[in-house]
Amino acid sequence: MGVKLQQIVPKTSIKLENLSGKIIAVDAYNALYQFLSIIRQPNGTPLKNNSGKVTSHLAGLLYRTSNLIELGIKPIFIFDGNPPILKKTEIERRTKIKDEALAKYEKALEEGKMEEARKYAQATSRLKDYMISDSKKLLSLMGLPWIQAPSEGEAQAAYLVKKGDAEYCSSQDYDSLLFGASKLVRNMTISGKRKVARKNIYININPELVELKKTLEENKITFEQLIDLSILIGTDYNPNGVKGLGAKTALKLIKEYGSFERVLPHLKNNQIQFEYKKIQELFLNPEITDDYLLEWKDVDFEDIVDFLCLEKDFSESRVRKALNKLQKGTKESREKMTLEKWFK
Amino acid sequence: MNQIFKLKISEAKLLRDMANAISILIDEATFKIDEEGLKLRAMDPSRVAMIDFEWPKTIFEEYECVSPSKICINISELLKLLRRAGKSEAVNLSLDEKTGQLQIVVTGKYKRSFTMPTLEAVEEEVPTPKIDFNVKAKTTTQGLSQAIDDAQLVSDHVRIEADSDKLLFIASGDLMGAKITLQKGSETLLDLETKEASKATFSLSYLSEIIKAASATSEIATLEFSTDMPIRIDFQQAKQGKLIFFLAPRIETD
Repeated sequence: MGVKLQQIVPKTSIKLENLSGKIIAVDAYNALYQFLSIIRQPNGTPLKNNSGKVTSHLAGLLYRTSNLIELGIKPIFIFDGNPPILKKTEIERRTKIKDEALAKYEKALEEGKMEEARKYAQATSRLKDYMISDSKKLLSLMGLPWIQAPSEGEAQAAYLVKKGDAEYCSSQDYDSLLFGASKLVRNMTISGKRKVARKNIYININPELVELKKTLEENKITFEQLIDLSILIGTDYNPNGVKGLGAKTALKLIKEYGSFERVLPHLKNNQIQFEYKKIQELFLNPEITDDYLLEWKDVDFEDIVDFLCLEKDFSESRVRKALNKLQKGTKESREKMTLEKWFK
Repeated sequence: MNQIFKLKISEAKLLRDMANAISILIDEATFKIDEEGLKLRAMDPSRVAMIDFEWPKTIFEEYECVSPSKICINISELLKLLRRAGKSEAVNLSLDEKTGQLQIVVTGKYKRSFTMPTLEAVEEEVPTPKIDFNVKAKTTTQGLSQAIDDAQLVSDHVRIEADSDKLLFIASGDLMGAKITLQKGSETLLDLETKEASKATFSLSYLSEIIKAASATSEIATLEFSTDMPIRIDFQQAKQGKLIFFLAPRIETD
């Protein structure tokens, strides 16, 4: 779900082309969930192979990533490890939502209500273990680097940006800002035409850039205050936050009193069920690793065709078309240099 | 009406050709304008190429700038308007402080007045690439365009090489190849100074678009490059105007 900071975060609309030549740390779970929920048939059924295994995530990874790479963008996919213990409530809450959605989906299907079915189906997406291992396998064959984070993927992605190994984080959620990422791109993996929920219309989605520095400057707060503010409105580690607080009110309170600790006594509902110090600590010092290699390798054409077309029943001509794009992009970004190298 | 600046240029063609050269690399151009003149320095979105442009106030027939400012305009929209003007019609440009609207008045056989919005200016300053150039070659823009056209027949990139007495353009495609030789002191290669024999490869689509568009504004181009470094192309302008492009090299892998 992520922290709900939309209202106070300044966003700049950019073009995918602006990201050409840039290394981007992609929140893999976030991207895969997006693929699973968007890439579906009209009645909401995900893409499947002949033996019934879901393949929407692989279609997304192959086709969308090839498009990015054709533009010279260099993604690194970062997979979540073990969730922090503090995330337990949030995970239970998500599971419950999915169970409910699944029941509604099945009912809508029985009643033949396709639009309804599609709506609920999108909320049922579950990332199963086989999907993760399929995804990692495909990325490796595509010659792309991926990293197994020890815990939160977004924390690891933010770490790459802080370290200078990547320039941007890519996720729909704002959490990487709280982990200290200076630049976040939203909508990168879904940009282009996208269906409007429950309506039969398509709109164009552009990527948007969110900058930590600008966010702090425009709101006149410090990084620590942004974390405190987020804890007030609710994070993955305290999903409900303090009852009744939205981003704008929380911002006002933080600016008035300075920190979470000092805001608390001024609230009516100041009986909190979470340990805010542990949450602060999680954002400030998350579990991350230096154990990774960033290498862009050649595309393994035939192995991908075998994997996707024989095992996963993809259309060979479509796969080959995407792979040609991928290969061209990989070669191009190896050969192309930007002027920035000579500005130092 | 308070105007931040008021400019008059006697020939629409000058402005149109320059806007066209700028539009090759960028859609939204942020200009700096002060008492001295008009400047623009920007990279294309993929940061492979850069333009460095300057028009001192002497280029203009009338020049008045009340306060130094940055203005950002959609250059292809401006170009559409300028294309409506006859070659030697006069163009007045002014910016209204309150509305932020740019007014473009074309006066010739009849008077046309257009307004267009200005956009949020880009704050980022683009530095000049730091390069020690080993080759400096002065060519006619016409000859340079020809050489690029030749190379483009066979490939999408070209290797530019120089030794002490010649400048070479070498293109190799999947099937065909091309080698264009410009001899020092020839009609096309007016001068060549080589400190060290050098070669670098560039994308022909960038080179060709830049050279085609800039040639409309200039007869003479000075190329400077070194091995595997960006190339600098200075298109000589009248009255201390400046139009320089930088283009990053490609790395040859095969």
